[in-house]
Amino acid sequence: MVKVRLEGLKKYFDKVKAVNDIDLEIIPGEFVVLLGPSGCGKTTLLRCISGLERVTEGKIFFDNDNITYLSPKDRNISMVFQNYAVWPHMTVKDNIAFPLRIKKYSQHQIQEKVIWVANLLGIDNLLDRYPAQLSGGQRQRVAVARAIVMEPRVLLMDEPLSNLDALLRVRMRAEIKKLQEKLKVTTIYVTHDQVEAMTMGDRIAVLEQGIIQQFGSSDEIYHNPVNTFVAGFIGSPQMNFIEVEIVHKNEIFYLMTKGLEVPLLDILKDKVFKLSDKRNYILGVRPEHIYAAGSVQTDKVVTTKGKVYFAELLRSDTVIHLEKEFGLLVIKTPGDLKIEEGKELEVLIDLSRIHLFEKDTRKAIF
Amino acid sequence: MKSQRIPVALKIKQLVTIIIVGFIVIWFLAPLVLITISAFASPSDYYQIEKVIPTHFTLNQFKSLFFGLEAWKAILNSIKVAGLTMLLSFIIGLPAGYALSRYIFSGKNFLKLLCLATKMFPLMVLAVPLLIIFMKMGVSDTIWGASLAHTAMVLPIIILIFSSILSGVSMDYEEAAMIFGLSRIHAFFRITLPLALPGLAASAIFAFVLSWNEVFVATILTLTNRTLPAHILKTAMASPDYLKFTAGFIMAVPAMVFIFFVRKHLVTMWGISLK
Repeated sequence: MVKVRLEGLKKYFDKVKAVNDIDLEIIPGEFVVLLGPSGCGKTTLLRCISGLERVTEGKIFFDNDNITYLSPKDRNISMVFQNYAVWPHMTVKDNIAFPLRIKKYSQHQIQEKVIWVANLLGIDNLLDRYPAQLSGGQRQRVAVARAIVMEPRVLLMDEPLSNLDALLRVRMRAEIKKLQEKLKVTTIYVTHDQVEAMTMGDRIAVLEQGIIQQFGSSDEIYHNPVNTFVAGFIGSPQMNFIEVEIVHKNEIFYLMTKGLEVPLLDILKDKVFKLSDKRNYILGVRPEHIYAAGSVQTDKVVTTKGKVYFAELLRSDTVIHLEKEFGLLVIKTPGDLKIEEGKELEVLIDLSRIHLFEKDTRKAIF
Repeated sequence: MKSQRIPVALKIKQLVTIIIVGFIVIWFLAPLVLITISAFASPSDYYQIEKVIPTHFTLNQFKSLFFGLEAWKAILNSIKVAGLTMLLSFIIGLPAGYALSRYIFSGKNFLKLLCLATKMFPLMVLAVPLLIIFMKMGVSDTIWGASLAHTAMVLPIIILIFSSILSGVSMDYEEAAMIFGLSRIHAFFRITLPLALPGLAASAIFAFVLSWNEVFVATILTLTNRTLPAHILKTAMASPDYLKFTAGFIMAVPAMVFIFFVRKHLVTMWGISLK
């Protein structure tokens, strides 16, 4: 269990700034997820931590050791690759035993550890097979087994679940998380799948263009996104973003645009007091925080109406695209609600769940 | 009615295919058969024009070529030269192929084109100047001289083939080995090389065969230590016809045997993908 600290980390490929000045501190035993879209720098960052990629600038510390320039083999880490990288010319047993053999463990110790980890991952019956004889899921377990058998200081995972089918992915999510909790090894996990991030990460670092946009728990990231990127990346369907003006009427602040008038709750008054009423702002509200009329009992809502343009009947939920003057408003409601396309629908926006962002900086005000 | 016409059309197509393939096969095999029969035919039968297929066979020609004209020495030289060529092209080609497949650097495409460009040069043109240089170096008429020339001939192709084969072995395997305790070089030898070995072995044997068959440069560069093709050119060509067939047979057979055994590897080598 080590603490991992990144200081001013930069990795440039000629002119491309893949990792652009990253500071990060990971608590011992923490499961940290690096989340972001393709090309955001998360894999490059992981490879810098692993040593497979040499940093352009900055430092990496494991506890108090500066390991920035150590070769991968000297860092005492292990990695699970996206394509597993299970060596095809060796049996499962030899694959798993490999790290131990290199570190010159005794034959007896190797045997013990291999059996222990094989049992842990449920592959003890596959030890004498070759990777070509295994399914994708089995190969992935071998990759994980190989990574944890040597009890590394830091465990790195590069999108290990992305090549699995959906059902297996859900199962493996839980298994990997449980495994990590048991082993208590500091883990850094890269993914572009926000569901994986939200369910597995103790803390999530949302990356975009080589910069950490926000680093926090799933709770913080969901309820208090620091900018429109994080707000839009987390949550499915995506948060609604509406350009609004701030208007002061009768002691109350309103966020207004054509077809929508959202009064601000008293507690938010201080936050908007100093804001100019000339520049535009962006109102953000998640589809799950807009309710069909009559379905909730709360007074902290504002009503709005629109024609149903399109309804996605997922049966577990219904996603409704409502035609409004400013565009489409997306709403997520329980699946058994009867919705008719083309008809007018009255919806309620939860005032305690709205967000406000600056239009030019995209930063969150609340 | 239509369902009956299709099988007939198919059969005609098959027949035509068989006839064409048959012609091609005969075209290639006929000379080999002729050489083989004539190589073993006794001189008396060979010169009897009425006898298309000789009835008396003898090994005398072989004996006279092998021992009288000392073909066995030439064969030994050929083996040494081809072996050395294979070794040198392996030693130089492997790091070069690795660099081309794994690294991105300026001038990479230029180097690849350079490899191809050297093949545009007829080796014959270089043979005499090469001889002069080798004389100055003191390696003319030695195994080393011929090997160096053959390696130069073979190396460009080998480098390109090696880089292609090594590219087929995913970097992931090497990187995983590097994470789990090996240095890059160590990872190369323990993980990448075993995975690339079938293709590399086939290429190495390919280099061997190219060197074995090479006539022109070998003839010019060797005098007393002749390789087999050079030897045959000088001795058997001055001999009676039937000995020429025997000589041709001695030349062709080893190469044919080699290729027969590695042809499976050569075919997979071109389409290899080791993920």
